[in-house]
Amino acid sequence: MAGVASCTQLPRLRALAAQAAPSPGFRFTDVTSQAGIQFEHNSGAFGGKFLPETLGSGCAFLDYDRDGWQDILLINGTDWPGHKKRRTTLRLYHNNGNGTFTDVTSRAGLDVEMYGMGVAVGDYNNDGFPDILITCVGQNRLFRNTGRGTFVDVTNGSGLGKREGFSTSALWFDYDRDGLLDLFVCNYVKWSPEHDVFCSLDGKHKSYCTPEAYRGATCWLFHNRGDGTFEDVTAASGIFDSSSKSLGVALFDEDQNGWPDLLVANDTQPNKLYRNQHNGTFKDSAVEAGIAFSSEGKARAGMGVDVADFDNSGTPGVAITNFDNEMIGLYRLNGKTFEDIAPQSGVGIASRNSLGFGCAFFDVNLDGWLDFAVANGHIDETVRNIRGNVGYAQPPQLFLNLGKGIFREVAAEVGGSFDQPKVGRGLAYADFDRDGDLDLLLTTNNGPAYLYRNDQLGGNRSIRFRLVGTKSNRDGIGAMVRVFAGGLTQSRLVKGGSSYLSQSELPVTFGLEKRDRVDRVVIDWPSGRTEEYKNLAAGRCYECTEGKGIVPQDGY
Amino acid sequence: MSRPSAPERSPTLGLLLGLLITLSAVLAYSAYITWQVTGLRKLQTELVDRNRKDSLQLLRIQNDLNLLAVAMRDMVSSDEPYPLTAWSAQFQRIRTDLDDAMRLEAGFAATSRTPEQSAFLTGSFTQFWDAVDRIFALARDGKEKEAREQIQLSLQERQAALSTAVARLLVQNSENEEQAGQRIVRIYDRVQRQVYVFLAATLLAILLNGLSVIRWNRRLFTRLAEVSERRSELAQKLIATQESTLRYISRELHDEFGQILTAVGSMLRRAGTHAPEGSSLRADLQEVLQIVQTTLESVRSLSQALHPVMLDEAGLESTLDWYIPTIERQTGIAISYEKQGAAFAVDGSAGVHVYRVLQEALNNVARHSGAKQAWVRLRFLADALELEVEDHGVGFAERPNKHGIGLVAMRERSELMGGQIVFSRPAEGGTLVHLDVPREKVESYGKEDHSVAGG
Repeated sequence: MAGVASCTQLPRLRALAAQAAPSPGFRFTDVTSQAGIQFEHNSGAFGGKFLPETLGSGCAFLDYDRDGWQDILLINGTDWPGHKKRRTTLRLYHNNGNGTFTDVTSRAGLDVEMYGMGVAVGDYNNDGFPDILITCVGQNRLFRNTGRGTFVDVTNGSGLGKREGFSTSALWFDYDRDGLLDLFVCNYVKWSPEHDVFCSLDGKHKSYCTPEAYRGATCWLFHNRGDGTFEDVTAASGIFDSSSKSLGVALFDEDQNGWPDLLVANDTQPNKLYRNQHNGTFKDSAVEAGIAFSSEGKARAGMGVDVADFDNSGTPGVAITNFDNEMIGLYRLNGKTFEDIAPQSGVGIASRNSLGFGCAFFDVNLDGWLDFAVANGHIDETVRNIRGNVGYAQPPQLFLNLGKGIFREVAAEVGGSFDQPKVGRGLAYADFDRDGDLDLLLTTNNGPAYLYRNDQLGGNRSIRFRLVGTKSNRDGIGAMVRVFAGGLTQSRLVKGGSSYLSQSELPVTFGLEKRDRVDRVVIDWPSGRTEEYKNLAAGRCYECTEGKGIVPQDGY
Repeated sequence: MSRPSAPERSPTLGLLLGLLITLSAVLAYSAYITWQVTGLRKLQTELVDRNRKDSLQLLRIQNDLNLLAVAMRDMVSSDEPYPLTAWSAQFQRIRTDLDDAMRLEAGFAATSRTPEQSAFLTGSFTQFWDAVDRIFALARDGKEKEAREQIQLSLQERQAALSTAVARLLVQNSENEEQAGQRIVRIYDRVQRQVYVFLAATLLAILLNGLSVIRWNRRLFTRLAEVSERRSELAQKLIATQESTLRYISRELHDEFGQILTAVGSMLRRAGTHAPEGSSLRADLQEVLQIVQTTLESVRSLSQALHPVMLDEAGLESTLDWYIPTIERQTGIAISYEKQGAAFAVDGSAGVHVYRVLQEALNNVARHSGAKQAWVRLRFLADALELEVEDHGVGFAERPNKHGIGLVAMRERSELMGGQIVFSRPAEGGTLVHLDVPREKVESYGKEDHSVAGG
């Protein structure tokens, strides 16, 4: 009897212990240099205080050579024309599978100079190898993966060329569900070095302008024709909006009808929720959904965005990072509208004095509840002179999900000097060491990138799924994976984009605590097909090929 | 003393009237304040808040108009690779927001706005959207250039006109708000002034009421004093009359009847000597003589009882020495009599009063207490004379007839002497009568010997 009683009380006791005892159940180790990643972002800053300097840049996890190990792509800027001192390019690091990486940028043909901002990875030609779109100040670049460890710049041939902009985040998704990934690109404002506006805080020295100084710029939507070319459907799809100042975009299925919707975080402009109208067009429903403005009705400085089922309700929740003095927006679907629960969740108060950029929901301690990481950093080096409690470099934050919509910030407790202040921008996660838990990649403005290895301390397990679409797009982007394991129901959408200028790995990871099996996995493919698998062992990755079944991998 | 006492009017009515006036003033003031506050609230919610909300909606409209202006600028600048129709969704979004804002604004619009103004605003917007629809129709027909010209020629102008109209309404709202603000200040000023007036009036009413109460109280006390004085006078007269009457009767009994009876006795004794020894006449005479003797003693005893001559001749102390064994004998109550202190002369009427108090107290013991023992204590203190009569029988509280005339008389006598009489219940039960007369009163009173002796 005593044993039964203690068993039934165990989850409660554990929850209490989790709240009382600060041990988060995992540890971060800064493995940047031991992994061989020596990257320094070049914003091109020379004193001219050009607006793009303070905003870059992003990063991505991708398995470009399909060896099962997640590689790293770090986006970089360049020196401005007329101020050229050095040559800097993005960096592609190949994962050697032993905890180290090799810089293969040149070998891969990616040592191309451009003022890069963000990245979107997707297999747009369904050849099984991920292709890369780099968003830039100026011309964006599309690199097709040859499958032989190299990339080819197909920007002009694909129809994406001859188009200057100030692009930021981007993502691949199949909005018309034709099995081909289409491309969505955010643009910030209409800016060029020639039209730079002189802004000043003290009236003497130039400072970075806020976006109010510039005209907005529409986001772009490119339809994949399937022949390697793209058609600009921005206007036809109803995406066009010349007032937008977009920095982040996330893919989700807000109305859970299988048609992908988009959430765009706008800076000082209302956020946009583009609802898929199932006919190749979108309708902005952000105002009706209650996500366009803050609860006070103010358009906030939206930066990064992520969407996930963080309360395991089966419905998507949203996080949007904002400026300092503005809380992170943490939204939960309440009926048909979103409700900002940031203030009562513990995320709002903790984010009041930080300027958030990259952000991601991921289950860092594999307890079955999505936690939330934020890369923080101000845009103005002199901010401390104006606001004493706000620094230029700011600690990243890691919010542990305690369930019931409550989060606890644990950045200072996870080790690896994770909470050292940084001028954070991009943020992405992946299980780069294939130990079943998710590691973090964080980029900084005009500074290094950081790779944090995650090691579980409590013996929590996970199960991972890598989706391969056949009728659906090859990456399975837009597929909904739901896992049922011992009373725990979780869902993940296979998606690119999210965060800020960055992209996390495409395989999905479910934390299972100590469970060794999952009862059921249901996959809703973008093609409309639903597949279900039962009784899968935890502790490994499964490759799910649409219509062909599931193959357990050797370990994660 | 002999002031004519006209029948006085009762103060209750006046006091009630004062109270009523004060309460009415408070009520009236509360009502007034409530009315003013309600007015203020009305002004604030209906005018100021409404105005503010209206201004917010006007700002929203203004903002939407600015968005339209920016969009039109983008359309005209043609630095986008998109056809003009691309902007239709953006225009539609703005229009949705504008319609919503216009609807809300119409609800909040200040009452000062004329129907013409409202009609002009609505009409202008309708014309604007008609123009927008025409331009998008042109764009859809591929007449981009013409559409752009129309934007520049008509749409931007209309937008500017609308913007000006909205700006004017905002200015008007601002002016309204300012006026409302001034009105609020005036109301506050008025209320403040009236608060002072009311406070002064209330203070005055309370003052008048208070003064009136004081006046009535003083009159009441004067009358009370008069009544008390008269009553005391009456009591003194009564007691004096009683005492003089008793003294007279006592003297008459002693002197007249005493002498007569003594003479009758002598005559009988003489006649007896003339009667033959052993004769029945002699025996009868002897018997009559006995009766006369007894009557004489009774008369003397009655005379003493009515007014002990001893008091006048030998003083209080000696009288008590005589009286207490006498009453002990008469009533059968054992009386412990103790004297303390150096005796001083208690003369005249004071002696009579003390004696009478003692007499009444012992009468009460005999008649009502049912006690078989009593204690009498006479104390000659340095500054006072004290007399105590104590019994442990049935106390005052248990007696059916609590306040006999005797007690009243005792009190009166005490007061006549300027003394104090207290009736209390000793720990053992029964009654303790404590008379306390200041020495100088006893003496002076005794010396003056006015009312009682003079009768």
